[in-house]
Amino acid sequence: MLILQILSLGANHGYGIAQRLEQVSRSVVQVNQGSLYPALHRLEQKGWLRAEWKDSETGREAKFYSLTRTGQKQLALEKESWERLAGAVEWIFQEGSR
Amino acid sequence: MRSLFNWLRRRNLERGLDRELQYHFDRRVADFMAEGLTEAEARRRATFELGGIPQIQEEVRDVWLTRWARDFVHDIRISARTLRHSPSFAITVILSFALGIGATTAIYSLVDQVILHALPVREPERLVLVDWKGDPVANGFGSWNLMSYPLCLDLQKQDRVLEGALCRALTTVNLSTGGEHRPESAELVSGSYFPVLGVRPALGRLLTPDDDRTAGASPVVVLSYDFWQNRMSGASDVIGRKVLVNQFPMTVVGVAAPAFRGLDVGEVPVLWIPASMSVQAIPGFKSMLDRRTRWMQILARLKPGVDIEQARAMLQPWFKALLDEDMRRPEFPRITPERRQRYLASTLEITAAPQGHSGLRRRWGQPLWVLLAATAVLLALACLNVAGLFLARGSAREREISTRLALGASRSRIGRQLLSDSLLLSLAGGALGVSLAPLAIRALISFLPREVAPTALASSLDVRLLLIALGISLAAGIAAGIAPAFQTGRESLVSSLRERSGSGFAGIRLRKVIVTLQIAFTLVLVIGAALFARTLTGLLAKGPGFATSSLISCTIDPLRSGYSREQAARLTRQIRDEIRMAPEVQSAGIARFALLLGGSWNNPMVIVADRRTVAERDINLNAVTPGFFSTLGVRLIAGRDFEEQDTQASAPGGRKVAIVSESFVKQYLAGVNPVGVRIGEGSGPDVKAEFEVVGVVANFSYRGLRDDREQAFFPLLENKNEGGTFYVRVRENPEPAFARIREIVHRADPALPITEMRTLDDQLNRSLNTERMLATLSSAFGTLALLLSMVGLYGVMSFVVSQRRREIGIRLALGSSRGAALRLILRDALFMIASGTAIALPVTVALGRIVEAQLFGVKPADPGTLALAALLLTSATLCAALIPACRAATIDPASALRVD
Repeated sequence: MLILQILSLGANHGYGIAQRLEQVSRSVVQVNQGSLYPALHRLEQKGWLRAEWKDSETGREAKFYSLTRTGQKQLALEKESWERLAGAVEWIFQEGSR
Repeated sequence: MRSLFNWLRRRNLERGLDRELQYHFDRRVADFMAEGLTEAEARRRATFELGGIPQIQEEVRDVWLTRWARDFVHDIRISARTLRHSPSFAITVILSFALGIGATTAIYSLVDQVILHALPVREPERLVLVDWKGDPVANGFGSWNLMSYPLCLDLQKQDRVLEGALCRALTTVNLSTGGEHRPESAELVSGSYFPVLGVRPALGRLLTPDDDRTAGASPVVVLSYDFWQNRMSGASDVIGRKVLVNQFPMTVVGVAAPAFRGLDVGEVPVLWIPASMSVQAIPGFKSMLDRRTRWMQILARLKPGVDIEQARAMLQPWFKALLDEDMRRPEFPRITPERRQRYLASTLEITAAPQGHSGLRRRWGQPLWVLLAATAVLLALACLNVAGLFLARGSAREREISTRLALGASRSRIGRQLLSDSLLLSLAGGALGVSLAPLAIRALISFLPREVAPTALASSLDVRLLLIALGISLAAGIAAGIAPAFQTGRESLVSSLRERSGSGFAGIRLRKVIVTLQIAFTLVLVIGAALFARTLTGLLAKGPGFATSSLISCTIDPLRSGYSREQAARLTRQIRDEIRMAPEVQSAGIARFALLLGGSWNNPMVIVADRRTVAERDINLNAVTPGFFSTLGVRLIAGRDFEEQDTQASAPGGRKVAIVSESFVKQYLAGVNPVGVRIGEGSGPDVKAEFEVVGVVANFSYRGLRDDREQAFFPLLENKNEGGTFYVRVRENPEPAFARIREIVHRADPALPITEMRTLDDQLNRSLNTERMLATLSSAFGTLALLLSMVGLYGVMSFVVSQRRREIGIRLALGSSRGAALRLILRDALFMIASGTAIALPVTVALGRIVEAQLFGVKPADPGTLALAALLLTSATLCAALIPACRAATIDPASALRVD
């Protein structure tokens, strides 16, 4: 979901995604860079990501991933279910504190 | 699907992944260096962070293709590589598989085409065959499941149950197109035929109910696609052309869809004619609207949601009323009260008929199933053979496998490797088998009766059949590989690694079981072969009851060429006289119905000797000319042959005469002087016994060699001799006589076709084609099976001898005789043979019921045959065991003990 969210901001390559991940979740989640690529390929197999080779900002060719339409739908779905879960958890906490 | 695609482009994927990871790594290193680290340090940090590139690669590969599939691909490649190193082993296994799979595919293809294949029509599963169960009180002519045409019209009105009903009859017409005259197969059909089936035209239109309203009013035909393509070269202007059907002009209105070939797989019509034109299509036939003439098969389409049981129940009240109504019609024959009861108890038999109606299926269904069972046994044998070979190879590879186990491979992983060996080989064998199958199918089709149009059955394999062959191959591969796979690593690892020469008794028990089963299966096939061979030789020894050499036959049917009855009789007489005068001809006679073609004219008979009796079963009847019996060489036992004066319609004193067969006398006239007895055709009380028996002839075959019905013959009356089958005894070779007869007929009428022109030897052979096919194929299967068993037993016994070499050496050294060593080994073999026989015999007895109908003069459990087959098997396999046994006996004790 994190990968999908990052890519929803625009196409990026593996290294870029890793950097972003590090930025956004520096303190909260520790993502092993090694497991990033299997995850990317799995998402690509599922058809949520599309990949193409393009020149990167350093001028070298890199594999850029971007969201497909089904990927966007999936992201929306996961967001929604996450929000529902988060809302429920919050509600429970509020109930408990009342 | 996706993983298959991934596998195919794996090289591309790999390269992409490499570049991707390299990019990541380089950027990371660059970034670290930008942060002020040394290059070496940056590289170290980046590698550490990423956690090992090969590991990532492996993980990503798992995403592309599941682990299991990747292992399998890997296994197959290793298998291919190792098998290349032992080509003789691989070839033996592939040939075994190819044999089993090819034979099974070929026979299954025929079973599928003849028995299982649904008609290429709309929703064939809703088609049913409607048949009369009980006494229909009607004359039938044709093959099976005969019904009357008016009944079909009545059924069409039962629209609560049926969507529609159709009727059809197969016939042969003389078809003339563009100056060519040929007898062709035609289907006479009701107007509802094409609409009910839901067949579309390829060109023009098909027949409709309008074409079938009034008799003789609609001279139109629909051609088959194949005929249109092959014989009219697909001419687009064929619609509206005139063709001559039995010299009667009819208009082509359409061509049927390419795949549609009528309702009978064995008899493909080239054209469809409306039933309303039956008078033109079947010369002399005027009973289309007669309710008491059965000549067509009725098929119907059930309404959606109505099943066969419901249909039967819903139709029964209507049918009951119909029976009553019919009986009160003035034309209903006078019958005895018992017969009336049987008539009134009749019901409609409704059976599913998605495959249409086929005489070929009826005759060949059972033999084909028998053959399929035999090939299945052969396939099982081939699998057992391969399993035995794998076990033998497995014990040779024991050290290798033990080493791999010791290095940490799991047993299941190694088992899978072995299984992939056998799968690879079975697929290769399957491919080879499938490529040979069309040849086998063609050979099988050549055994089929001659009436089957060459286009009726295909020898090519379709996709469905290829899938089935693939399935069989996979199943065979797994079946053959599973036992050896389980066998791996059974032994304790330590002991097998410790042994220096070869291995212990790994798998020997399993191999013995396999060989025992092989022997059992083989015995089943050998017994089958012996039974069918005895059937064939029995029939040939019985013979037709007349000398077939230098006897030829040919048929003419002038009525189908537009002749009137008088003209036809005159022409036949003229041709007969000319044939009799020909120098090549010794004598000649004509029979109304041909011999050894499978059919006959038959009816019950009334016999009046000292009292009036009715024959218990139909008598086979024929009308023949004087000289027929002497031409055939059939002995006259009592009385006299027909004379020329018997053939006059008004014989002196109005005498009508008949000749009966020896079996007729034995059955119905025992103890009576048959000459002078009066007989009549039919069974009712009103039948007049108007024929006087003037002679008795020896028995001979009519329908076929198995036929032993009582026979009666009438003289073929001069003015009713409208064609038939000539039987001609030739002086020397048949060929000049063939040419002479062709010349005579051609001179009389160039447009008159001659059919069934062949020697009686040939005809006899044709009439035995089912028996010959079963005997030939089962003997071939039996021989192959025997060879496989011999090889199997030889292999196991050789292995046993090499295993027990030391033991035997010690025995010999201690003073045991060489004979004793021989016996020691042979005892082992005999035990396997005996247990195989013990398994096979009860199986054979159980299977016997399936083949019983195909046999002649021998019972399925015939002790002589069983003993002979068992003896053959025992001696053959013992011979195979004798070679290793002799080797055991000639072991030199000194060298045997020195081995280790």
